[in-house]
Amino acid sequence: MPPRKRTKVTTPRKSRATQVAEQVNERVNPLTVDLAVTLGAEHPLRLERPIVVASGPLGFGNEAGGAIDLRDVGLFVVRGISLRPRYGGPMPRLVEVPGGLLHGVNRENPGADEVLDRHGASWRSAPCAVALSLVANSVKELAQLIARVERRADELGIAALEIDLTAPCDGLDGSRWESSADEALRLIDTARGATDRPLIAKVSSAASELRRLASESLDAGIDVLSVSGSPHGFLPDRSRRGPALAAGVGELSGPLVRPAALAAIAEAASGAGAPIIGGGGIGSPADALDAFAAGASAVSLGTALWADPRLPRAVGDSLRRAVAARGETGLLALRGSALGSRHE
Amino acid sequence: MGSTPVAGELLAIGELAPGRITLEFRAPGLIAALRPGHALHVVRPESGGYRLRRVAPISRIDLLRGSVEVVLQPRADGGQDALAGLRIGEIVELIGPIGQPIRINKATMRLLLIADGEGFAWVRALAIAATSAGISVTMLQQAETAGDLPPASLLPDVVEIVVATSDGSIGHRGSVADLLAEYFPWADQAIVAGAAEMRAAATAAALRRRTPDRTTANGKPARTRPVPAGDRAPWLQSLLSHEIGCGIGACGGCTVATRDGQVRLCREGPAVDAMGAQSTGGA
Repeated sequence: MPPRKRTKVTTPRKSRATQVAEQVNERVNPLTVDLAVTLGAEHPLRLERPIVVASGPLGFGNEAGGAIDLRDVGLFVVRGISLRPRYGGPMPRLVEVPGGLLHGVNRENPGADEVLDRHGASWRSAPCAVALSLVANSVKELAQLIARVERRADELGIAALEIDLTAPCDGLDGSRWESSADEALRLIDTARGATDRPLIAKVSSAASELRRLASESLDAGIDVLSVSGSPHGFLPDRSRRGPALAAGVGELSGPLVRPAALAAIAEAASGAGAPIIGGGGIGSPADALDAFAAGASAVSLGTALWADPRLPRAVGDSLRRAVAARGETGLLALRGSALGSRHE
Repeated sequence: MGSTPVAGELLAIGELAPGRITLEFRAPGLIAALRPGHALHVVRPESGGYRLRRVAPISRIDLLRGSVEVVLQPRADGGQDALAGLRIGEIVELIGPIGQPIRINKATMRLLLIADGEGFAWVRALAIAATSAGISVTMLQQAETAGDLPPASLLPDVVEIVVATSDGSIGHRGSVADLLAEYFPWADQAIVAGAAEMRAAATAAALRRRTPDRTTANGKPARTRPVPAGDRAPWLQSLLSHEIGCGIGACGGCTVATRDGQVRLCREGPAVDAMGAQSTGGA
């Protein structure tokens, strides 16, 4: 058998530039990625971006517009307000700790009426949705507070109400609402009966029975679960004769809480309840992607904004690129990606 | 945030007192707005990538060099300050000025400064500026021991320095509070900066000083001249230091209650009317 004639097949070699151009064409253009997200079904909360400014670090409203560009934000949560004025206690209220910050501002505010009077105009004109964070020590107080807020909520353009379950509860001897799922659900139930506005419940990574709370809070009337609250922390002063923080026990923020916060987000996500705003120690776009991967539908930014006011824009850009790199055009591609098949 | 960050090149590292690091930054675009009492926020990543706005009081402004010297406050948790590890020539972000300048009345010719090691950082720039303006300055300095005192060379030669040490190793044995009765009558204005106990002692002494002023020699109440509100600085101002926070008056981390209402130290402070300050913290 005569040997077959071997023919050499050659394909024209593509230049590196051509290869890169083809890859780019195959990918989705990040600019076409839609960052808008609708949280909740019963009382939907639509955000143009899945980026939330946490309650506290940027105040009640008037100061925030000069601090960051709110056009890069989906939801601005106003610093906690209560029915009556709350005093924050003596200094020091902030103490630096390795990898974070211990704070004890005690949800200081001049009371709902004064906050609404002084800051309401800034909410109306904000380029993003605005939510009020409500602080109450009892179910009755929350009902009164919501009634007070609802009178002016439409006029002031308030998109949603956040129930702060990390605030102290009289019925639990001053422990947090989140330390008892039963008490927390009772508070949520009361709130739902008092408003038709989207309701967000804020808990921390230290919440008791988080999975149960996540699954049952939806039935109780919550639209969104914000797993972004600060867990407790304590530090003695240098002499070890007293606490570093005047309030004694405070709350922790910063990178040191991030792994625990991600675990809480993942646990809440596995509860298959309300959509989750995830936060706690997010200081970079990569941290934000981690929160999505753990199951969050939106991310909450806090004290990191003090040093990096451009963080919301960077997070938005990063989300677009991450979605596009997966060949998708919506954020669903990112949510829960690290949880494995049992969570999908 | 609040103010636009300005790049500051580190020119020199020094020590104000044992453990109190000073950093001199070249920031010509910033220094024109700086006055004694102001602080700067210095932003640099800490371990773990966290970036905090760290409050650093201004201890000297050098218009010729276009530089400002700030003092690092010891961390409350006793941890290592990453800023202390900066090298000459490194660039950091500076934001400021933070707060309001210390108000000195035009008529003031004799200024009394009362400070411990921590408070010295806040009043040194004032001592320099006041003496340049022809004001006589006396500084009462409190320290545990002689070794804790800042060098006298850090103040202009014309400043009278009176020292009190707890162990009596130099100067008066005891507290500067023991000296206040002697120096208060001399002063047209006084500033106290430092530990809460020292500020409380100065306030108590100032209140005692004011009592005889309210009656005349024949026992009748003295007439007080009406002064427009906000026109004159308080006779005794208390400087309340703060370490970290948002710097825009939003977070509530540096709010203190005073007779005149809530004062946000990063906006309206750090100097408050000592007679009206209720806070026992700060400093």
